[in-house]
Amino acid sequence: MTNRNQILELANKFRWGLGGNLHDALMESIFKEASDIAHKVVITKNEKGAFSFDKKLDKIVTNRWTGFPIMFILLAIVFWLTVQGANYPSNVLSNLLVGELPHILKNFALSINLPHWVAGLFIDGGYLAMAWVISVMLPPMAIFFPLFTLLEDFGYLPRVAFNMDNLFRKAGAHGKQALTMSMGFGCNAAGVVAARIIDSPRERLIAIITNNFSLCNGRWPTQILIATIFIGGLVPAQIAGLVSAGAVVGVAVFGVFLSLVTSWGLSRTVLKGEASTFNLELPPYRPPRILQTLYTSLMDRTLIVLWRAVVFAFPAGLVIWLISNLTVGDVSLADYFINWTNPFALFIGLNGIILLAYVVAIPANEIVIPTILMLTVVHFGLTGVGAGAGVMFDTSSIDATKQLLEVGGWTVLTGVNLMIFTLLHNPCSTTLFTIYKETGSLKWTVFSAIYPIIMGFTLCFLVAQVWRIF
Amino acid sequence: MNPVESLIIFSLIVASLTVIFLPRKGLLAKWKHTIRSTERVLIEDALKHLYDREYNQLGCTLQSIAGNLEINSDKATNLVERLEKLGLINSKDGKLSLTPKGRSYALRVIRVHRLWEKYLSEKTGVPEIDWHDKAEWKEHELTPEQADDLAASIGNPLFDPHGDPIPTSDGRIPRKEGVPLSSLKEGNAARIIHIEDEPKAVYAQLLALDLHLGSQIIMIENTRERIKFESDGDEKVLAPIFAANVTVKLFERKTDVQKNFITLSNLKVGEKGTVLKISNALRGQERRRLMDFGIVPGAEIAVEMKSPSGDPTAYLIRDAIIAFRKNQSDHIFIKK
Repeated sequence: MTNRNQILELANKFRWGLGGNLHDALMESIFKEASDIAHKVVITKNEKGAFSFDKKLDKIVTNRWTGFPIMFILLAIVFWLTVQGANYPSNVLSNLLVGELPHILKNFALSINLPHWVAGLFIDGGYLAMAWVISVMLPPMAIFFPLFTLLEDFGYLPRVAFNMDNLFRKAGAHGKQALTMSMGFGCNAAGVVAARIIDSPRERLIAIITNNFSLCNGRWPTQILIATIFIGGLVPAQIAGLVSAGAVVGVAVFGVFLSLVTSWGLSRTVLKGEASTFNLELPPYRPPRILQTLYTSLMDRTLIVLWRAVVFAFPAGLVIWLISNLTVGDVSLADYFINWTNPFALFIGLNGIILLAYVVAIPANEIVIPTILMLTVVHFGLTGVGAGAGVMFDTSSIDATKQLLEVGGWTVLTGVNLMIFTLLHNPCSTTLFTIYKETGSLKWTVFSAIYPIIMGFTLCFLVAQVWRIF
Repeated sequence: MNPVESLIIFSLIVASLTVIFLPRKGLLAKWKHTIRSTERVLIEDALKHLYDREYNQLGCTLQSIAGNLEINSDKATNLVERLEKLGLINSKDGKLSLTPKGRSYALRVIRVHRLWEKYLSEKTGVPEIDWHDKAEWKEHELTPEQADDLAASIGNPLFDPHGDPIPTSDGRIPRKEGVPLSSLKEGNAARIIHIEDEPKAVYAQLLALDLHLGSQIIMIENTRERIKFESDGDEKVLAPIFAANVTVKLFERKTDVQKNFITLSNLKVGEKGTVLKISNALRGQERRRLMDFGIVPGAEIAVEMKSPSGDPTAYLIRDAIIAFRKNQSDHIFIKK
C-alpha cells in the first residue's frame, strides 16, 4: 500500500512540473505522427490545373475593385428573379386558393347544412389565412432559396463572407452573418437555421437575435403597399414609383444598419461573456448539382411553407374570425381591444387596429394587411366593401385601399410608423419557435421577441412626437 | 399630451433607467454589491489576504487587512478578533499568522478563485481584465464538491490563467518559482511564467503590452528608470515597478531560445512559413479550433489572398484554404 501511495505521490510531484501546455504538446505530437505517416503512404497527383482555375476566380471575386460590384450584382439578380418570377404564380395561386376555392367550399358547406358559424370559423377564418399565407409565401420561397443554394453549392457564398467580414468584425459579428442576413430577406426562420454555419457561440447568437432585422418575404408586400399609398402620394405621379421603391429599400437598408448596431451593442454587453472564435473555410469551387439542388431545396421549402401554414396560420385564422364575431354585450372582442389600445396606439402614431392586426398576425405577417382592411371595415361599420366580419379580403385597387385607410383615420404619419413597425416588431411565431429550437434557451427566445418590440414602440413614439412638433 | 412634454418625460425615463441599470456604477449593481458583502465574505477575504502575504513571505498586520479589504480599522479589529475566536489565526505582537485550520480554509477559497479564473479563460469570452473581479464573487459561492466538479469539467488544470498554481482539493500547492522580470540582466533570456492581476491598473498596462504566459523575453536594457526587452520578437518598454509584477523563468539551455521569429500577420501574399507556436493570447475554443485546422508547431502555412478590405486573410494550410483575422494571425508565430 505504501508503495502505491509513494508512486501517486511521485506522480503528483511530476504533474506540477508539466506546466499548463500539456494538451498543446499532445496535439502537436499527434499531428506530427499523422503527417509523417501520410507522407510515407499517400501519393499526391499533380492537381495544379484544377487549383489554378480556383485561384484565378478567387482573384476576381475577392478583388478590391471587382469583388463588391460582383457581389451586389449577383444578389440583385437573385432578388429581381425572385420578385419577378413570383408575381405570376402568386397571382394564379391567389386566384385559385383565395378567390375560387372558398366559394366552392362555402357552397358545399351550405349543401350539407353545416351551421353558419362552423363554415365561418373554418372556411372564412382558418382556411383563408392558410390559403393567404401559401399564395404569398410559397412562390418567392420556391425561387429565392434554390437560387441561393446554387450559389452556395458552387462555393461562392463563403467568398461573400470573406469580403464582408471586416465590416462585421467591427460590429462584433462574423462575416457569415452577411449570408444569414441575406437568407433572412427570404424568411427569418430560414435565416435563423442558417446561423448554424457560424461555429462561434457568441457570433451565432448575435446572428440569430438580429436576423429579425432582415425584412422578410412576408413583410415586403406590406412595405411596398404602404409606401406606394403614403410616400408615393407625397410626390408628383411621374416619380411616385421611384420614390416609394426608394422608401422600401430605405427601410430594408435601415434594417441592415440596425442589425449591425444591435450586433455591436450585444457583443459588448449581454453577450460579452460568450466564447468567441473565428475561422472561415474557403472550399474549392465545384460545378453546382443543379437538378439535385432544385429538387431538395424546393421540397424542403415547400414542406416548411405548408407546415407553417397549417400549424401557425390556420389557428391565426380561427382567432381572427372569433375575435370579430364573438361579442360581449354587443361589442366584438376586436372592438374591445381596438378601443382599449387606441389611446396608446394613436399617441405613438399608430392605431388600435394596427396593434390588433400585429397581435393576431404573430403566426404569419403576410396577413397583416388583409386583417387591417377587414378590421377597418368592421370597426367603422362601413357598407359596400369587405366580405363580412372575420373574413380577410384585399381591395381591387390601391386607390380603394387608400380610401379605406383614410376613412380609418390614417395619415402619412400612420403610414411611416407602420413601415417602421413592420420592420421592428417581434419575429413571427415560426421564427420564435426556430430560435427556441436553435438556441435551446427560453431566455434568448424571449429576448429576441421583446427587444424589437421595445425598439419599434420607441422609434414610432419618437417619430410621432417630432412629426407633431413640425 | 404635448409632443415636447412627452419627449422630455421620455428622456427622463431613459436617464433614470440608465442610472439604475448601468453596469458596475448603476444603483442596481451597487445594491447587489452591498448585499453580498456578508461576514462570510469578509472572513474569507481576510484569510486569503493572510495566505497571500505568507506565500510571498511577507508579514501581515491589522493595517494591511484593513487596506486590502477596504474597511476601516474598527471593523478590521472586530474581524481579527472574530478570526482568532474561530481559531483561524494567531496574533503575536501585532503580527498575524494563519493556524493550520485557517490555512486550509484559505486554500479552499483560493482553489475556487483560481479554478473560476481558468474556467472563464477557457470556456467563456469574458475579457482578461474582468476575470479577477468575477472570481472574487464566485469564490464565496461554491462548495468544495462543486469546485471538484468544476475542476473535472475543465480537465483538472494545474495553473490558473495568470500562472498561479491551483491548490489541489487536499490543499497541496507547489513552492513559488521564478524571478521578477525586473531582476533580469542584459542579454538574459527567459519565459514568462506568471503575470500578477492585481492591482488592476498595472495588469491593464501589462495586457496592453501584449505580454502573455509563455512569451519569450530577452532583456535589452535594465536601468533604474526603464526596462527595455524583447517579448516574442517585439521590443517593449516598462517601468521597473510594473515589471516587478511579471515573473519569469530563465532558460536552462541556450538552444531553448528561439531567434528571428515573426508573426503570421507579417507574411505577404504568396509567402510561406513554418509555424513555431500559438501565443497564449489565443485560448480556449479559439486555440483549439486553430489546432484542429492543423496550426501546430512544424506545420507549413502559406498566404493565399487578402480580403478586399485587408482583413481577414486566407491561408493555405494542409491543402485547405482557411481565413483568419488579423487579431489571430498577430498571435501565431512563424519562421520564414
